[in-house]
Amino acid sequence: MVNDSDQPTLWGAPRAAPRILRVTDLNRRVRALLDGDPALADVWVEGEVSQPTYPPSGHCFFTLKDAASQVKAVLFREELARATVRPVHGMQVICHGKVRAYEPQGTYQVYVESLTPAGAGDLHQQYEALRVRLAGEGLFDPARKRPLPRWPRRIGVVTSPTGAVWRDIGNVLRRRYPIGELVLSPTIVQGPTAAGAIVRALDRLSARGDIDVVILGRGGGSLEDLWSFNDERVVRAVAAAPMPVVVGVGHESDVTLADFAADLRAPTPSAAAEQVAPDLSTFPAILDRLRDRASAALVGRLAERRRFLAAEGRALTRLLPDTAALRQRTADLVDRGHRALLSRTGQQATALVGLADALRALSPAATLERGYAVVRLADGTIVRDPAQTAAGELLDVVVARGSIGARVDRVTPGTEELLP
Amino acid sequence: MTDQPAADDLAARPFDELVAELQRIVQALETGNLPLEESIARYREALRLHAAAEQRLREAELSISQLGRGLDAGGEEETAAADSDG
Repeated sequence: MVNDSDQPTLWGAPRAAPRILRVTDLNRRVRALLDGDPALADVWVEGEVSQPTYPPSGHCFFTLKDAASQVKAVLFREELARATVRPVHGMQVICHGKVRAYEPQGTYQVYVESLTPAGAGDLHQQYEALRVRLAGEGLFDPARKRPLPRWPRRIGVVTSPTGAVWRDIGNVLRRRYPIGELVLSPTIVQGPTAAGAIVRALDRLSARGDIDVVILGRGGGSLEDLWSFNDERVVRAVAAAPMPVVVGVGHESDVTLADFAADLRAPTPSAAAEQVAPDLSTFPAILDRLRDRASAALVGRLAERRRFLAAEGRALTRLLPDTAALRQRTADLVDRGHRALLSRTGQQATALVGLADALRALSPAATLERGYAVVRLADGTIVRDPAQTAAGELLDVVVARGSIGARVDRVTPGTEELLP
Repeated sequence: MTDQPAADDLAARPFDELVAELQRIVQALETGNLPLEESIARYREALRLHAAAEQRLREAELSISQLGRGLDAGGEEETAAADSDG
């Protein structure tokens, strides 16, 4: 808006001063202008893709151009995932989306919502319709996909015998997997009769019954060139093959319906060849490592046995009887026995003497020796009481050294006053 | 009998079986609970397997054959230009 004030200025005469916008204000205005145009909110624009970039954000940025002009375009990650083709340099496309200004840069660009190869409108609709129908049948289910054999003996290849694809597959496998066997089932891969030929070529491999995995391949080309791989017969044949099928058609950006039906989708035919078999070019080194591990294990085992035997030997030596010590112990024992015996005899001798003394003390002989006598009746009864006798009776008086026959003169009871 | 580096019985077996067998033996040797005599016998077997597998790789040449020559591939062939991508 114009400033209508007519205040004096530094330059003298008052005049209409311009309204000065900030850049942000300007860009906002332009943006509002574009946003307000309903035609720009829903545009179809045809052009050639130039310099597409795929930064880590997952979005795709490219320039859309024709002979005279160009415009920036962006395909956000979500839309890119839904797109049937990835924008590649030089691709002629029809974009549907809206045009908006990007304020921070002061630029405008096409925000692409869907993108189809130009001139392929009909084909694209057919493709989408068939894709939806076959997906509905479960033909593309991840659960249907079979694992590839790790060590295929025979690898079938369905492709043109004269193209670079067949040569490249041979080269890749010759270098990486020379122990394998390649069986080519030749076919044409483009033109109106290609779909039937591809199916027959697949069938010939299936009929053999000894093919472990199949590569279905074709080099890059236009959407029309690759169209056989979107043919329903081919898609069904891939899904129905008795052995796993790896499809490698065209460039990384080309996704055919056969790719969806494949057990494994390879971005290119050469990549398919790399994925059907392990890389044996590194195997001599792997084999040598295995042999070295076997050697190391055996050497370790032998060393361990040797250590074990040495340890056992030492243990045995420790267990042997020590004869010198034994001899010493025997000698000690003999000595101790001898000493014990000696001391025992000494004690016994002393004891015997004591016993003899005791016996002697108990003997009546000793008492008689001291002057006592034993008086017995004629029948041998020892007289302890005068009442046992009567005057005139014969008695036997035993003294220390003999006996005396005596006749009783008188008998006096009581003892106290009689003893000296 | 053990001097034969790649005996006939091994020559007839698939390469991946030779490698798998070799791996099994190496693992058995490395766990180390085999009797010594058996360890030595297994080690000899490992050497035979290694030699057989190595020879197989050295002599391997990709075998290539074609089914129904020309069938379905004769008339209408893609051009070299159309098929230039690897």
